[in-house]
Amino acid sequence: MKVLYGFEYRRGTSVIHRIDPRSKMIYVILFTALTVYFVNPLVLLLVLSSSFPIVLISKITSRWAQSIKGSLFFIAFIFIFNFIGIVLATGSVYDAVISGISMSIRFIALISIFSVFFLTTSPEDLTQSMVQMRIPYDYALTFNMAMRFVPTLSREAQIIMDAQKSRGLEMEKGNLIQRIKNYIPVLIPLIISSFRRAELVADAMESRAFGASKKRTSLYVLAMGKRDALFILISVISFLLLLSLKLVFGIP
Amino acid sequence: MILFDDVSYSYSPGRYALEHINLNIGEAELAAILGENGAGKTTLVKHINGLLKPQSGKVTVSGIDTKDSTVATLARKVGLVFQNPDHQLFAETVEKELAFALVNFGLPPDEVSRRVDWAMKEFELTQYRERPPFMLSGGERKRLALASVLCYDPQILILDEPTTGQDSRQKTRLAALLKRINGEGKTVLVVTHDMEFVADFIPKVVLLSKGRVLAEGPAEEILTNRELLMSASLLPPQLAELSWDLALQRPTIDLEQVVLVASKLVGGPQR
Amino acid sequence: MAIIDVQALSYSYPDSPKPNILDVNLTVNEGEFVLITGPSGCGKTTFCRCLNGLIPISYGGTFSGRVIVDGLLTTEHPVYEIAQHLGLVFQNPENELFCTTVEREVAFGPENLALPRNEVRSRVEEALGVVGISHLWDKSPEELSGGEQQKVAIAALLAMKPKVLVLDEPTANLDPLSARSVLNILAKLNTESGVTIILVEHRLEMIAHIADRCAVFDDGRLVLVGEPGEVLYSEAVERMGIGIPKAVQVAKRLALNSKLGKKPLSSWDLAEIIRGASDDPL
Repeated sequence: MKVLYGFEYRRGTSVIHRIDPRSKMIYVILFTALTVYFVNPLVLLLVLSSSFPIVLISKITSRWAQSIKGSLFFIAFIFIFNFIGIVLATGSVYDAVISGISMSIRFIALISIFSVFFLTTSPEDLTQSMVQMRIPYDYALTFNMAMRFVPTLSREAQIIMDAQKSRGLEMEKGNLIQRIKNYIPVLIPLIISSFRRAELVADAMESRAFGASKKRTSLYVLAMGKRDALFILISVISFLLLLSLKLVFGIP
Repeated sequence: MILFDDVSYSYSPGRYALEHINLNIGEAELAAILGENGAGKTTLVKHINGLLKPQSGKVTVSGIDTKDSTVATLARKVGLVFQNPDHQLFAETVEKELAFALVNFGLPPDEVSRRVDWAMKEFELTQYRERPPFMLSGGERKRLALASVLCYDPQILILDEPTTGQDSRQKTRLAALLKRINGEGKTVLVVTHDMEFVADFIPKVVLLSKGRVLAEGPAEEILTNRELLMSASLLPPQLAELSWDLALQRPTIDLEQVVLVASKLVGGPQR
Repeated sequence: MAIIDVQALSYSYPDSPKPNILDVNLTVNEGEFVLITGPSGCGKTTFCRCLNGLIPISYGGTFSGRVIVDGLLTTEHPVYEIAQHLGLVFQNPENELFCTTVEREVAFGPENLALPRNEVRSRVEEALGVVGISHLWDKSPEELSGGEQQKVAIAALLAMKPKVLVLDEPTANLDPLSARSVLNILAKLNTESGVTIILVEHRLEMIAHIADRCAVFDDGRLVLVGEPGEVLYSEAVERMGIGIPKAVQVAKRLALNSKLGKKPLSSWDLAEIIRGASDDPL
């Protein structure tokens, strides 16, 4: 599950890290729309490359690269299935290859855009931005907790796997059905443990007056500044430029 | 029986969890792997059943190089009981839980049920035969986890922090059990930072600190060596402290010894 | 002045026929340091949860008797209100800390109380300072050692400015040095800041000499309450699964209790008595 590695927030001091999550969300929404809007592989490559400067500025290159590498497996699948589909439908190998390449680039672009967002946005800032967007605190907090406990869960899964392997469980043995069954001794303790943890975390939260007031304070407040304005401006202009390729020049 | 030959291991580049470990643990030994949190104790024992393979050096268990063996094969000889029983209990019933390892090792059904019955009686779990493991109390779950490993009669038994959350009576019972298993010729290793438990019950100590073996020898010697314990960031056991406070010539962790000397100091015949 | 008043408390969990605690009576005065101990599974954890209202409000079950905390009856006030008078620290910091930095973790409580931002900030700084972890303010709780995590948990509760702090085996998962460090902080909180402390602990040798009183649970009942010296030197305690400090065991064997009327609770107390007695033999 190395792919997940490329989505875990890591603290940093770059400009991108300090930009409000909402600004980054605008970028993500605009450029995700572009990946869906276009079919031409060269344009999609441009969309993908929009994330490159962000990766470089925020110095998250190695982690970002890991998520891309991790997605290569899926890309192979996408390419093959798409290829087969198009060949069967149109009989044109050329079309199939182009389509396959487009799909693959689209997928990488999506992974890249989202990876960049999650690598540079802390769960708390994300939660805070949701609260400031008037999403009820309870929902925002649920999101925060889920993100915060992902590393804990993956660590626990590893321990459980070690424990069961120490009792003779061989994860790689057997046919596909057997291998899936081999996950039961790992999933069940993980799930039960998660339920238990949920109860304990709930107790801990209540013991710190969770729910005491409808309008809770927030130690940090997000405020958009000049950097945000600049970032949004650049995103919107790039978006419009790319959009014009289809609207004005008719490139699919 | 268990041989560590210049073993090193690190989880991330540059930071070593184990550095140049040399260790020779013989048959039927009863020893504690002692060290503070982060000293490398768990990393060390994971090398014994093959969960981790050394990045340099060699680990041999009963003559087999762990690099040439799978965890499943080594697990047949090396029983590792993890600290938190909830990290392994998953079956629908206690009976199935106990049978899990036995079935994995391919034992015939009648052998499986014989051993399961034995384990249930031995660990007082018979009344829970049909119960799901997670419905048992914390202490019972710990017993069940231990039982499910002893069920397949490994030659080497390793327990990771078995005394956390146990009261003194449970610890005494555990110690008696370990002594009995050791008496049957099995090697028993206890990974712990519980100084009192080691002082009271375990004769031999392997002292780990920051990934290195600082010392190996009789508990009496190591646990009364103040400088050694301090360099390992460990608190001495109470009787050792008392020995020093009383300025005993030969500090000890033996209660009777301390009482003897103290009563002489207090003057006159003992009561 | 009794800050905690427990009267005839009995409780059984929802799916359990047998009561987990039975007929418990205990009063704790403000500023006291009460040590609670007893064999495993005897109801200590349940008792802690009864003190801050999690039982019966969050847990349900069958509850009888009264628990009054700083004048508030726990069955009539929501947990978040009692939490401002009594803080509860749990055993496993991994399940207690859920924010991404220490600072935010400690701020969580005051934020919930909707205090003005500068008040939240000053409480966080104060709590971190009192516990001695100001330098960790920016760290992720995941990166910290067990002992540091527990200190964060304690700071997080202190930020609520409770009068009482209840801790349920806070050193259970810690190595001896970290355990001692945490217990020293509790002693300091009690003597210097006047916080009432109720501590459930097995490592009696580290803390018995600090406690004002010791309460022993067995099988759901409160069987002994008194000064640590009285309790640990009693005969009853020997038969239970309690880790009696070695100094006490030695002293009992030397019959210092009857010969000298002394009940040392720590190694150095014992050593002093013995040295004194050897200069002046019996």
